[in-house]
Amino acid sequence: MVVWSRIRKDFPVLNELYEGKSLIYFDSACMALKPVQVWEAMEYYYKYLGACGGAGRSTHSLGVETSLLTEESRQKLASFINAKSSNEIVWTRNATEGLNIVAATLPIKKDENVVTTTLEHHSGMLPFFKKCQETGSELRIVNAKPDGTFDLTDFEEKIDDKTKIVSFVHASNLTGTIAPLEDIIKIAHEYGAWVVSDEAQYAPHNELDVQKLDVDFSVLSVHKACGPTGVGVLYGKYELLEELGMFLVGGDVIEDVVYEDGKITPKYLPPPHKFEAGLQNYGGMLGAGAAVDYLQKIGMDNIHKREQSFSRRLLEGVLELEKFEVLGPLDYKQRAALVSFRPKSDSMNHNDITEYFNEMLPHNKILMRSGNMCVHPFQYQIGMSPAQGDGVTRASLYIYNTLEEIEIFLTALENFAKTID
Amino acid sequence: MSDFKERNVQCILKILEKKNPATTKDIMAMRDLFPDLCAGCSSGGDVILAGKQLVEEGIIQRKWTAEGFEWKLISDPDK
Repeated sequence: MVVWSRIRKDFPVLNELYEGKSLIYFDSACMALKPVQVWEAMEYYYKYLGACGGAGRSTHSLGVETSLLTEESRQKLASFINAKSSNEIVWTRNATEGLNIVAATLPIKKDENVVTTTLEHHSGMLPFFKKCQETGSELRIVNAKPDGTFDLTDFEEKIDDKTKIVSFVHASNLTGTIAPLEDIIKIAHEYGAWVVSDEAQYAPHNELDVQKLDVDFSVLSVHKACGPTGVGVLYGKYELLEELGMFLVGGDVIEDVVYEDGKITPKYLPPPHKFEAGLQNYGGMLGAGAAVDYLQKIGMDNIHKREQSFSRRLLEGVLELEKFEVLGPLDYKQRAALVSFRPKSDSMNHNDITEYFNEMLPHNKILMRSGNMCVHPFQYQIGMSPAQGDGVTRASLYIYNTLEEIEIFLTALENFAKTID
Repeated sequence: MSDFKERNVQCILKILEKKNPATTKDIMAMRDLFPDLCAGCSSGGDVILAGKQLVEEGIIQRKWTAEGFEWKLISDPDK
């Protein structure tokens, strides 16, 4: 049985007053807080190691231990998503970099196409937009339905035997939509297309099994999973990672660079090392391993169940006030643990709402994010205009939040609602 | 101060020279008047951060109203 109050104690910032007020942290979809265990793992590297890791670098004691521990972390990440092998785990800076690697190194021909959706984070769309611009390939966009869900027939219409890859967000950071990834993968594979799934919002909150899904590539941001900033993971089926071209080149990605007759001939390392150029974020990798250890110790199923019940209360509480429009599906079972909302009256800028909850409450600071969440196309699609200042306020939950915090927020939101037209 | 931040500080000041006081909603709508100064994502967070800095420096005041925050340029901060 998980003692959630004990979990909360692992996050010291939540147990301190900030400017004399208690913090309620509802911005985990942007950045999860870090438990003691994660910074202790990183501290170990910086305090006791601090050396080079990586294939074929320093072979002294500190270098060897750094390499062993970072490879152990790679294995932990592989287990976390049930990859077949740790060789299918590429360290990146974040999910965005993972998507850029896939897009930039994708062997796509001019007469082929990429399929994506209006609900993608810009990071799931723009790398492929750029790639298609460079290659003359077509970028096909599936419109999400106005409630943020998808109609599978729209994918069947867009995907064909010239589709090279489908870039798809598993859990939306804007609407919270949990997408039918398994069905989309089946459609894509019928046509021989690859699928890259953006798991930034899904993997920290749910059990992810890349083998069961049969997904070809997935990307994660470790900072949304209680891990350090600047660490992400690109998962790819090994044979597909081999098919991708090179991204960054330089040290650590080569077996040899032969110089003969005035010409150089590089020979690159196989995956995952071919994508990890230069010295890496070794402390971050240790932190990442500690983060997934931490989550797995709690149990991803326990996390999912608790969050689903909390997000149901949050969603229903906001809707009950009748003053706010909630983006995304209204069935809590189809949603991640976040709610993006805006006043129906459109009387106030979204920045003011987050500022109100950050500064105007007597006893609490409720920390949320406002804006467009880097998902502008969907907002334009449903008639909002980010350029004209339209946006949403997003409350997002994680393992350290409590039902009591949700009730405090809903009471504050009810009081706030009375002040607006 | 970075050039980016300085530009957003100037953005708010220029807007308040045109309309003083102004709500956040007004400010967001008037950013188009100064496209070279009002920088950053269209969500406007960078402009808000610059405004908060000016409040801390005592150059502008901010108060809560039924339409959200109202920002006012103080004509003579020393008075």
